Amino acid sequence: MTDRRRINGPVGATIPLVFEDVEDYEQVATKAARSRAPNAVRKMYLKTGVTPSASGSAYLEIETSGKGGVSGLKLSCTVYGPRSLPRSSPFSPHIILSTHVKYAPFATKQRRGYLRDPAERDLGSHLEAALRGAIIADRWPKSGVDIIVSIIEGDQDRETSKTQGDEAWDIMNALSGCITVASAALADAGIDCVDTVAGGVAALVRDTADSSPSIVVDPIPSEHEKILASCCVAYLPTRNEVTNLWYKGDLPASDMELYTKLVEKGIQASTNANRVLLECLGETVN
Amino acid sequence: MAAAAPPSLSFPRPVFAKLSPHPYLLRTLAPQVSPDTPTPKPSRTNGRAPHEARPVYIHTSSLSHAHGSALVRVGDTTVICGVRGEILPVTSIPQYRPRADFGEDDDEETRRAGRGELKDYDLLVPNIELATGCAPQFLPGVPPSTLAQTISTRVYSLLHSCAVVDAKNLRIWASPVVTKPTGCDDDADKMEEDDEEEEEKPELVAYWVLYVDILVVSFDGNPFDAAWMAVLAALRDTKLPVVTWDSDRGVAFCSRNAEKRKLQIKGLPVACTAAVFLEKEHGSETSGEENNRHWILLDPDRSEETLCGETITMVVDCEGGETRLRSLEKQGGTVIGRELIRGFAGVAEKRWREVKGAMSK
Repeated sequence: MTDRRRINGPVGATIPLVFEDVEDYEQVATKAARSRAPNAVRKMYLKTGVTPSASGSAYLEIETSGKGGVSGLKLSCTVYGPRSLPRSSPFSPHIILSTHVKYAPFATKQRRGYLRDPAERDLGSHLEAALRGAIIADRWPKSGVDIIVSIIEGDQDRETSKTQGDEAWDIMNALSGCITVASAALADAGIDCVDTVAGGVAALVRDTADSSPSIVVDPIPSEHEKILASCCVAYLPTRNEVTNLWYKGDLPASDMELYTKLVEKGIQASTNANRVLLECLGETVN
Repeated sequence: MAAAAPPSLSFPRPVFAKLSPHPYLLRTLAPQVSPDTPTPKPSRTNGRAPHEARPVYIHTSSLSHAHGSALVRVGDTTVICGVRGEILPVTSIPQYRPRADFGEDDDEETRRAGRGELKDYDLLVPNIELATGCAPQFLPGVPPSTLAQTISTRVYSLLHSCAVVDAKNLRIWASPVVTKPTGCDDDADKMEEDDEEEEEKPELVAYWVLYVDILVVSFDGNPFDAAWMAVLAALRDTKLPVVTWDSDRGVAFCSRNAEKRKLQIKGLPVACTAAVFLEKEHGSETSGEENNRHWILLDPDRSEETLCGETITMVVDCEGGETRLRSLEKQGGTVIGRELIRGFAGVAEKRWREVKGAMSK
């Protein structure tokens, strides 16, 4: 069924670009290994107040890894509210969060459509869970707040021709960015929170086929041979609480220590992001 | 109970602007003359003079996944545009009519035929996304609003009527397969082969389809001008990779190392919008002689747009010395007549020079 409210383009299907493999290029690509220390996160840039008509807004950019065709994450978030719920909605003793996460059509390697797909809805629900723990919700009964995140550019390698199932791991980085930027926008809107929440990602990776796996923070999937497991944490530093934990991958169930270590590293990445967040908010206040 | 201080009857300016926007804008545009104070200069609520547009800021190629991209900021309106090319093989065009002649010379007829190709096969696909929370009235999760549909359609028709993109740039050719004589690797044979290839006429196998996606990050009035500016800047920035056609598999391969080809853009049409503000508020009963003044506000912002019923959009192109009118749209109201439109062309020319300066920066 075609969307009659948009311009749909040609009837026949168009083919996304296929790049031919150049042999020496592939070698170059695999050589671009991680240049940061295992526990160093990428630099990020955060700014509030990019959309003046919104109650609160923020823009987050994470730097590229220095390699050519790898894009950094670019997110824009707007917050509307608190505002009264429509009359038809039932009574609610606390504020109702509604989160929307949407990739721009030009954000990823494959062109995205305009309708939200299940992955974006899933991101939205994870974001809501992460923020719900931070907002003092019973201060605004019968009201709602809309949090809208647009992913202007996803964190994806443009140059690798084969997709090594990267999409699933990229989503973790996107979620951690969404949490940080939404938290900044909420603070900009003046909605009371117990603490600023920030996201952090840690992953268990293998760099070459026969080396032993190691844990890194803020992973870029294209820099590693294989990602075994990844975990995204939303963390409140002053309360020492985790509001959302999303874990993917396969680890032996017996190895509890590895699992705890992964979460710990995620918390470490999150505290780093939180430092940037606090600094940005401090700049806005002054 | 302690008596509360008597409430002050004077409000700060923003409160007045919110409570009664129409009289407020009227007072700033037509300041009341009093003998003891000097007459203030008439200006709008945002501090601009009626014929003053907001400065333009353009940044290109900031997105890595799109083939061409631009970020345009006009005051508080921020628009991002990304152009992405995809390949449409002629075999998947339902009503494909192969053309016998593709004239290389740039005469008028071949150009018109090229325009037909663009339109018949729908090679340009512009879409605007307003529901990004860019303003309180545009929240996501709803189908595109009337405004979004209108802007998409206007951009679409303007792209075709101005012929900014030539169909010549979007054709993908393939040289026919030359049957390779078996068992000869001599240089001489290769040369022969090359000669044969040159003699054969290349075949049109596919078209580029350009998806032009416009994302409004922040909305503060005048979305069409900003969106069109972003589309134009992104198209001027577009570089398409070199494509080789594999006729055995019917797939196009893009080469990674070859220099990317820049898309040729013809002309620089710039849209210029103004709104007409009437002294008489809509629906008010009073009518008098002095009650029908009007102001033409160039590049209206969000609060002015809600107060004005009549708008005019003029698209001009001054490339090559003379001013050419590309499109003219006027909606609502009866104020703008022939003389005003003629005068407005001068305003649009001035705007064109401003935008041209921002584009070439």
